[in-house]
Amino acid sequence: MSGALMDVTDLAVEFKARRTTARALDGVTLEWQPGEILGVVGESGCGKSTLARAMLGLQETAAGGIALDGTPVTDRAGRRELRRRVQMIFQDPYQTLNPRQRVRAIVTEPLRVQGIDASEHEQRVDRALHDVGLDPARYLDRYPHQLSGGQRQRVAIAAALVLEPDGLICDEPVSMLDASVRAQILNVLVALQKRRGLALVFITHDLSLAWSLCDRIAVMYLGRIVEEGRATDVIQQPRHPYTQALVTAIPIPSPGGGGRRELLRGELPDPTAVPSGCRFHPRCPRRFEPCDRVDPSLIETGAPGQRAACLLHDPAAVAAAAGTERPA
Amino acid sequence: MSALLEVEDLRVTHEGNPIVDGVDFTLEAGEALALAGESGCGKTTTALALMRLLPPALQQSGTITLRPPGVEKPINIGRRTETGMQLVRWRHLSLVFQGAMNSLDPVQKVGKQIAEAIQLHERSADSSDVAGRIDELLETVGLTGGVADRYPHQLSGGQRQRVMIALALACRPSLVIADEPTTALDVVMQAQVLQLLERLREELGLALILISHDMGVLAETCDRIAVMYAGRIVETGAVGAVFGEPQHPYTKRLLDSLPVIGGERGIAAPIPGSPPDPGNPPEGCSFNPRCPYRAERCDIDPPLREVRPGHWAACHYAPWDAWPEVPPPVVAGGEAAT
Repeated sequence: MSGALMDVTDLAVEFKARRTTARALDGVTLEWQPGEILGVVGESGCGKSTLARAMLGLQETAAGGIALDGTPVTDRAGRRELRRRVQMIFQDPYQTLNPRQRVRAIVTEPLRVQGIDASEHEQRVDRALHDVGLDPARYLDRYPHQLSGGQRQRVAIAAALVLEPDGLICDEPVSMLDASVRAQILNVLVALQKRRGLALVFITHDLSLAWSLCDRIAVMYLGRIVEEGRATDVIQQPRHPYTQALVTAIPIPSPGGGGRRELLRGELPDPTAVPSGCRFHPRCPRRFEPCDRVDPSLIETGAPGQRAACLLHDPAAVAAAAGTERPA
Repeated sequence: MSALLEVEDLRVTHEGNPIVDGVDFTLEAGEALALAGESGCGKTTTALALMRLLPPALQQSGTITLRPPGVEKPINIGRRTETGMQLVRWRHLSLVFQGAMNSLDPVQKVGKQIAEAIQLHERSADSSDVAGRIDELLETVGLTGGVADRYPHQLSGGQRQRVMIALALACRPSLVIADEPTTALDVVMQAQVLQLLERLREELGLALILISHDMGVLAETCDRIAVMYAGRIVETGAVGAVFGEPQHPYTKRLLDSLPVIGGERGIAAPIPGSPPDPGNPPEGCSFNPRCPYRAERCDIDPPLREVRPGHWAACHYAPWDAWPEVPPPVVAGGEAAT
């Protein structure tokens, strides 16, 4: 269709409790190109991890769907193919590895599950470990507790790579690691993207990381994408007030960098009671008359390819409001 | 002589191996000091030693003197008995530790937990007075009174972290030690909590020791910074000086590894290798095996010395007026020791 590795179209995910329903994702549409580093950013609870699970076919969806290379993933065979082609690594390298398995078994397991011929196992495991900068001779027989945090995350990446996927979804892969280890892991991931053309999805709440690493980013708020575009455009010239607030909140590692700033007040609303109109309006410093009634959709604004879901960029809404009331 | 806190030659050992290896610093009333460094560098151990809360397997030595305003005799923290320490903790200095928001008692309402802390230290406080103070405290940290009647599970992570800060302030201490207080929070919450700490410093004249591995957080909140590596302070000075012109190769590399929006995009070359094992420290400067600027004198242990006015560094070659070219990035896929 679009030549994308993955198309996410109008995806909705619901979590039902006895009387209430929380829409964790609500109409998310996203393209992930081959070899692209796509950032997904937002506060905790915005739905970014649910999106990751849905992109792996691990999450039952209420509406919409995903397509791999233009082919909708609908049945078991499709999901099996999806899980071979797209892999995932998680935030906590201390919890993702089975403590009773050696590195050899951990990295071999995906090959077994996907029914890859046993004669290929050794060579592919060796190569995956080399790719993440671990010498197989030294690490194959170790247990996770014999590894440092950085080494564990490398093993997790090796296990994800051993099937030679086209895409890797990374859910906060370095947020638990120290600065120098973090740089090592990021270097491994970027090298894989360059050398193998691996496409990456980077889920993070760290905008400066998204800025330095990603080609494009999507900013999520309460289950929706509220802004997307090239990483440099979205972060250096954000068009949505929420993105602007996120950028303002980044601590700046230079003296007096932050200064006094206006901060977003309050917290993410309860996803079972999504505010009317624009879901960001109760916290928005720039809201005006129609915002509590009209639910904005993504519109082109700013740089080419940049889109924001905000009525400030809808000339009709601004003009209509100007007749009654001035924008705040 | 009048510093609020004076720490001299603080050492903490585990089975004879140094975890904190001779740390000295002072803190004035109302001042904010940043303790920076990576996991394992001794920053949390230092905080626990200041509170005398180290686990029994760790031994501490050195002098820690606290001079709270209005208290006549200086408090010698290093020499206090456990009972003696209980009178000092929370009353004169308190600790907000990493993940503290998970340390609230899940089966007690928030207000009751704060009341307990107050009544433990002020037996004479009557209950109506205490209730008023709880409301005031919660308001100080930006929570409405209703929170006092809630259980911890009814609060968000950010709200619980604020409750922990309220608890730390309950007995009006003159010093709060905050160990990674925002690490578990996302950017918006983090910014709110940091702004709160800043406001409390202004309003209450609170002194703060802020521990974090996030240099951005430290730069924005603190007046002075001490960078720790392998149990020692390797560089210390005003935040502006240390961030503007770092004088230790470790600080320099740590700062270089941070992405700066609007600067050059891409991932910086990591510091190769990992921090030394306390049981088997390297000969000479503890950073020398990882230092890109290493030279012959580095086999000798460098003392922390004043390399510029008010700016101290433990490097033989400081002051660094210009840094040599950054070494080429480590090629990913190569063997790295971490």
